[in-house]
Amino acid sequence: MKDHLQEGSQPAPSSPHVSVIQEIQRRQRIVFWCLIVCIVAMGVLLAAERHRERKRIEALADQMPIDAPTAVEETVTLELASDADGTLRPETRQIALPQATNARVKALLDHLLAYYALPDSAHALPPGPAVAEVFLLPLPVVGYVASPLPPGAHSGTDSGADPASVRTTAPVSSSDPNALQPRQPGGELAVIDLLSSWVNQHPSGVEVESLTLRSILGTLHANLPQIEQVRFLVDGQTRETLAGHADLLRTYPTAHDNAMQTGGNDPGPAKE
Amino acid sequence: MNALRNSILAALLTACLLTLAAPDAHAQMGAASRGPATQANGASAAWTPQPSVSISSVNASAPAPILINRRVVVLDPAHGGSDSGAQISDTTVEKDVTLALAFRLRAMLTARGFTVVMTRDSDAMASPTPGAGELTLDDRAGVANHAHAAACLLLHASGSGVGVHLYRSELDAAPGESAVPPWLTAQAAWIPQSSLLEGELANALTRSGIPLVTGRASVRPMDSLTCPALVVELAPADEDVDSMNRTDYQQQVARAIAGALLVWADQVQAPLRLSSAAPAMNHPGAGSSGAGVQP
Ligand SMILES: [Zn+2]
Repeated sequence: MKDHLQEGSQPAPSSPHVSVIQEIQRRQRIVFWCLIVCIVAMGVLLAAERHRERKRIEALADQMPIDAPTAVEETVTLELASDADGTLRPETRQIALPQATNARVKALLDHLLAYYALPDSAHALPPGPAVAEVFLLPLPVVGYVASPLPPGAHSGTDSGADPASVRTTAPVSSSDPNALQPRQPGGELAVIDLLSSWVNQHPSGVEVESLTLRSILGTLHANLPQIEQVRFLVDGQTRETLAGHADLLRTYPTAHDNAMQTGGNDPGPAKE
Repeated sequence: MNALRNSILAALLTACLLTLAAPDAHAQMGAASRGPATQANGASAAWTPQPSVSISSVNASAPAPILINRRVVVLDPAHGGSDSGAQISDTTVEKDVTLALAFRLRAMLTARGFTVVMTRDSDAMASPTPGAGELTLDDRAGVANHAHAAACLLLHASGSGVGVHLYRSELDAAPGESAVPPWLTAQAAWIPQSSLLEGELANALTRSGIPLVTGRASVRPMDSLTCPALVVELAPADEDVDSMNRTDYQQQVARAIAGALLVWADQVQAPLRLSSAAPAMNHPGAGSSGAGVQP
């Protein structure tokens, strides 16, 4: 064995024994390189497949693109809050908005809230995504809620189904007679689902929280007047307050006249 | 030598086979990236009415004149326990300021003959429901509503601005109180009274030389209160935010408020009780957090 190695490593004189070994080595080398080529080719094929598949899945997952390919820049009005004097002032911007209304609402709010995260913001809010999703419901909202069967109705347990699934629907009435009714035909309720990652970092205070909501409501009203009422969710669930103060259980009207301190029916003393 | 080569070849073949088997990863990756979409659907499905804890604070019995205890005042020192409220400075958190102000106000009101109901008199109050942890905002509203008080003051504190900020509800005034007021908008019937109370407090604070800002805000749980209700937010006395902790400043504010409440106790009027002909709300707790209204 030692001798073979010695001979193999040096160009040996043409002994038939050695040439057979070389022949074997040559064949093995061919097979080896063929396999390498195969591996590389399959690797490339796999990478291409993976890439295509990933694209397909991304397209599936993202059915509401923030910026539709057809989005064009348009003029929008942002109602920007200022902590210094507790007011909102309108400011126009050119931004690209998608076509679908709920995607428009989300894009508008993303733009508005990203503005507040800038370093010199007059109403400093945490950076990062704030709005998970926006749902729009035509007003008046009519709904039914699942409710357990009344006790009398239990007598006929004909179906034999498990009791938890035996439910009827009961109409849900609004707690506010004015809520959930349109002011104009075609009025809509926007349900804005906020992200807890953003809400949990929102500064706490009556005014700072109220300004955030007023800025959102005012901006929606200025650009999408058909949105008449807004409700908020956090991670898809109801939450009592934004950061300890502002009521998130309420249905908010977007129009100023019955929402915010525009005087009118306010007999209280004015700001000092 | 041959053994070495063979083992290399075997390793390469294994690699080949693994590569061929790898497309299984597609399926796994697909499942993983489909996750968020499903979650998003879950989020929309999760928007169902959540029966919130509804303290039966509103008297659900037959129409009777609305009762007011003229000498009872509810003080709600906001926040407490795990909820610190606003971080006012490095050393001051809102929940401590609100409790300190409440104690001063309680002393002054008691001295003026009032019975004072506090929603908390320590850092955190336990919920009446066993095992439910701290008192929730709804629990506090329940405590306040049971008192049938002449005034319910929600005490807050803020490091911005100076003086005192008064806020009342943003709800539209309702003509009267229905037999079973809807939980989330029960304050609507009391808006005119809350507004008059605000005027009374504003006059007294201004007379005492305390800078004042009034406004409207939706602050939980004010809209569920069935009494004249206001948010009283204490801001610093001057540019130094820690000045809101000064005893003399808090005493000055408390004295002005207590004086105003003394006048107010003789003026307060209960809203009209609406006849029970109004459509009964079938679930006041879930009310407007629900999905709709009966056509
Ligand atoms: Zn507070």
